[in-house]
Amino acid sequence: MTVSLIDVSTYLPGEPVSADYYAQFADSDDLRENPMFRPPKFRYHVAEDESAIDMIERATAGLVERHGQETIANIDVLITHTQMPDVPFYGGGGGMAHRLGMKPSWVLDLHNGGCAAFLLGLKVARNLLSSGEGKTALIAVAQNAAGQIFDQPTVRRKAQSSVPGDGAAVGLVTLSDKSPILDVECRTYGQFAGDMTVVADPPRKWWGPGTGEGYIGFTESKITKVLARGNRQVPEVSQVVCDRIGVKSSDLDLLITNQPNRVFLRNWREALELSEERHLDTFDDCGNLFGAGVPINLDRAITEGRLKNGDVVMMAAFAHAGDFAGAAAVKWGGRD
Amino acid sequence: MSLPALDDITAHRGTADPLEDLVRIETSPREKATPIIADMMRSVYPHDQVFGEFCTVNSFIDCPPDELFDYLSDTRCLEEWTYSLRGFTPTEEPGLWLAYDRLGSETKIFTRTHANRAAMTVDYHCAWDQGKHLWMIYLMRVVDAQLVFDKPGSVVLWTNCHHPFYDDNPYPEAAPPKRPVWVGDFWDMFGAGHLLELKNLKAIAEYRHHNGLPVTPAWMI
Repeated sequence: MTVSLIDVSTYLPGEPVSADYYAQFADSDDLRENPMFRPPKFRYHVAEDESAIDMIERATAGLVERHGQETIANIDVLITHTQMPDVPFYGGGGGMAHRLGMKPSWVLDLHNGGCAAFLLGLKVARNLLSSGEGKTALIAVAQNAAGQIFDQPTVRRKAQSSVPGDGAAVGLVTLSDKSPILDVECRTYGQFAGDMTVVADPPRKWWGPGTGEGYIGFTESKITKVLARGNRQVPEVSQVVCDRIGVKSSDLDLLITNQPNRVFLRNWREALELSEERHLDTFDDCGNLFGAGVPINLDRAITEGRLKNGDVVMMAAFAHAGDFAGAAAVKWGGRD
Repeated sequence: MSLPALDDITAHRGTADPLEDLVRIETSPREKATPIIADMMRSVYPHDQVFGEFCTVNSFIDCPPDELFDYLSDTRCLEEWTYSLRGFTPTEEPGLWLAYDRLGSETKIFTRTHANRAAMTVDYHCAWDQGKHLWMIYLMRVVDAQLVFDKPGSVVLWTNCHHPFYDDNPYPEAAPPKRPVWVGDFWDMFGAGHLLELKNLKAIAEYRHHNGLPVTPAWMI
């Protein structure tokens, strides 16, 4: 049975926040000049009272408009990824299902996918639907750290804080041959799990009492390792999918990746021998969208007519400090 | 107290301003140097950048370094591990060997081996067609793997430099008539070709070592 990614819709919260916002707070920071932290012109911030469930509901509006509330209500499989769950003990899946008015037989919150969560979601959705677990799946990704953890008064001074941006996206996956998911590759590099850390000064557990605000523990040596891993992993998983579907990477119609910074974007298209025109990103408008980056860029590609019927799009990403990577190829069959 | 590093250049130039392109911690602190390095770290590197001016291939070979050095020091080993050099015979000039490179039909190749046991370097000075000017130079070095990998065996480093004669045959009169190829036509294949030959060397030396045969075979002694 063929499984298709038939549509995607997205949500960017509020008004764009310009780079000046960060410039006014900027501290002296050893990492300021590092190309991994060169800021985008704009990014979006989740509102203070906005939950991940709110973001997913808003992202789903486009699908409701194009496919009807009934399609959403009848979803069999809901797969979610929330970067910062509204409550840490449980994921957002249950609340999202309820808000969207659906009673799916499967609800899965995938935390390990990180920036590659949409690819992991595609793999899970494809396997569940093709094994008879339902006819439709919704993959929902909410990225909400930029306006929260990265906008704390002492954290927004850091070079790392100007790069993230918030946003949400949902992808509709169905049993259909309209826009077939040609293949998916997901790889876990468990040896690197734990290399991404959330730290505070003075040190404490993330839930523990203390005065320091939590932020991502980047050091120069760690950045170099992550750079080398990302340089390797995204081309690696993309090439595996290319080989299996029998398409040379240089013949891909479009490449869409996560967008941690401009350095990775350049290195990945170089590695896959693709021109800038065939690698769509929204880094300057939206910053690092983490897991929401791939579906938001896909939505942009469709909306702007950069992805045409019959085109093969490769979506690829790596997560955290290199503990997970995924790639998926879809033969796009159009939105209508 | 620091040493008078670069004082001569400062005196010569009459300024303490650093030379352009010089990246040292005094004038390029880490926050300045790291972006340069991060920009140089790519997913892929163009072939020409890797193999254009220099062609380097390396390998680990599980065989004692001194035995491998002895083997490599004998020019005739090339009869075994190279892809296409065959029929080594001594010439009238001591140390100069004649063979045929089957890459070029009827092509003579002359070789003189400069081995230095103290440095563990084995340099093959070669040329197609004539033995007067040996400009094709294969620089090899055997390193004790115990030192660099903390395990027994050898590491072989091998570099060729893109001599201008690879692009233009300086001795066309020495070539056999109507030969359609020149050795330099293959320069862009050298990275792959030399790696293939290095793998030959590895297979041969490891087979002998693992099976108790002398690395240098009896016929060469």
